[in-house]
Amino acid sequence: LASIFSGMDPAASSKSNHCLDAAKACNLNDNCKRLRSGYISTCSRELAGSEPCSRRKCHKALRQFFDRVPGEFTFRLLFCSCKDRACAERRRQTIVPSCSYEDKEKPNCLDLRGTCRADHLCRSRLADFHTNCQATFQSLTSCPGDNYQACLGSYAGLIGFDMTPNYVDASTTSITISPWCSCKGSGNMEEECEKFLRDFTENPCLRNAIQAFGNGSDVNVAPKN
Amino acid sequence: SRRKRARARHKPCELRELEVSVSELGLGYESDETVLFRYCSGTCEAAVRSYDLSLKSMRSRRRIRREKVRARPCCRPLAYDDDVSFLDAYNRYYTVNELSAKECGCV
Repeated sequence: LASIFSGMDPAASSKSNHCLDAAKACNLNDNCKRLRSGYISTCSRELAGSEPCSRRKCHKALRQFFDRVPGEFTFRLLFCSCKDRACAERRRQTIVPSCSYEDKEKPNCLDLRGTCRADHLCRSRLADFHTNCQATFQSLTSCPGDNYQACLGSYAGLIGFDMTPNYVDASTTSITISPWCSCKGSGNMEEECEKFLRDFTENPCLRNAIQAFGNGSDVNVAPKN
Repeated sequence: SRRKRARARHKPCELRELEVSVSELGLGYESDETVLFRYCSGTCEAAVRSYDLSLKSMRSRRRIRREKVRARPCCRPLAYDDDVSFLDAYNRYYTVNELSAKECGCV
């Protein structure tokens, strides 16, 4: 845990943009820079015809980035804390959402889950997310075993699959995460769909883990007296 | 001091690096992102070839006139770095290639 925060002093740089700092740290590391450029150029390359980009290639490049670059770089980019809109928009743009996330139509979340489960890797990453980010009342942090790191890792592990999650807007005050889906048209499965979607949108474990990473307080989870 | 400056001037051709903002690159992009700019710097005195000496001689004997010739090796990139991508101030991503030197030589 400590290694992720070395060189990152939230008190000393409260005025600066943490997401910009995270991009700088990545650009100054050859491996991170190369793989970041790899997915950005793939995901922002416009194709001729109706498709804005190749989502398949973009997802593959994103998976390579999150698989091969250490968390000290990738987590900083994904979970940087923000005080203004420009920063929050940069954070939302991290995964190049116009290609990797947004789509013309929003599928039903249970249908999307079915698509994910048909792919063995997506299926196991989703299971990891549910295990490690499952909100619980038995711990102080709402996370299983108070393990923020495992939850953040499982979140990052979903990026580049059909269940790619992202920030829904550039709000600085409230963080809302969701995959690109809705529960419209769920029929008699509506309750199950809402329950599934809430694991992303209203999950205190995930929200606490992201906020704690952003303000560097996840090393010590004990309450301040 | 003067001697220090003289020594710095005579450093052989090698790769140097600078941390610069994308806006400072002067390529017309507006972005506060910082990138590593690697460039070639130094002298090439040790790399003078018979070619250079002969060319100089031809020029002084006026066998070559009114032509742009270079009778000295030049410290330049031999290879360029991988692409660099960044998000600009208007939330658009751009990728720039051959921005940075990867290897330098006297050519």
